[in-house]
Amino acid sequence: MTPMTPESSSSAEAEKVVKKEHCENHAECMKLIQMVLDGEAGSEEIEHVRQNLGKCLPCSNGYNLQKAIKEALQFRVEHKPVPQNLADCIKSKIHALEK
Amino acid sequence: MTADEYIAVRQYTETEKYNIFDGELMPHIQSMYNFAFRLTQDEDDANDLVQDTYLKAFRFINSFERGTNAKAWLFRILKNSFINDYRRKSKEPSKVDYQEVETYYDSEEMAGTSQTTDLRAETVQELLGDEVTNALNALPVDFRTVLILCDVEGFTYEEMAKILDIPIGTVRSRLHRARMLLKEKLKTYASSMGYDTSGESEDEDSL
Repeated sequence: MTPMTPESSSSAEAEKVVKKEHCENHAECMKLIQMVLDGEAGSEEIEHVRQNLGKCLPCSNGYNLQKAIKEALQFRVEHKPVPQNLADCIKSKIHALEK
Repeated sequence: MTADEYIAVRQYTETEKYNIFDGELMPHIQSMYNFAFRLTQDEDDANDLVQDTYLKAFRFINSFERGTNAKAWLFRILKNSFINDYRRKSKEPSKVDYQEVETYYDSEEMAGTSQTTDLRAETVQELLGDEVTNALNALPVDFRTVLILCDVEGFTYEEMAKILDIPIGTVRSRLHRARMLLKEKLKTYASSMGYDTSGESEDEDSL
């Protein structure tokens, strides 16, 4: 049965039979995939991508890679702690402005 | 440089100004500092840039509509301050090669070659946070910026268009190119670190 989400990857052998190995429209497909992953696509575009991922190996690989990169940036990029005195420094400068 | 973020739309009292500043602007200091640090790649410059931005924000607080998107408003001021005051003196090589890079990736795209990078999703999932951060930091500043805004900070395309003063279509294409560049960086990085980056493990020797 077809899965409900756009992610339809996993078990390689079974899907290789069905999915095409070459995508003649890959640059355009990746632009749509980007919009879906960024939450900027409409429901028709999401559905289009979802169906395509089940049929096209380069697109489903591209989707998985793009998603992994997005998640790495979302969750694993380091956050620097704000220097302790920065907020106080800003506030005292603002109070000085008003004098 | 447009300056419509500085056009007064309100006439707040002194008390209101401080309330807005403390209640709506200061809570974003963590994101602001990190954005500044990733743009300047220097702690002292980031510190100065955040201070300058907040001082400007206070001076022009009448141009901020209370209850609207304070974070996007602040990011826009910070980005403009960065371009006007910091980018000139920074050692960013991107000033010169930005346009070239965009052109290069346009032609790559036409040839259809850059899309077939064989980096695997599993490899990316294995990379450590600082490895991802290094790859991001190695990108030219304009490409780095769209990825920070979209993926790290979670802004929408529309918000990004306002922050960067560019059309949404440009946001989209710049993001697309930024991601292709990042893939290349991650791939180089991963293979130099000894991760397996080959895409087709089983079929490679079949010819």
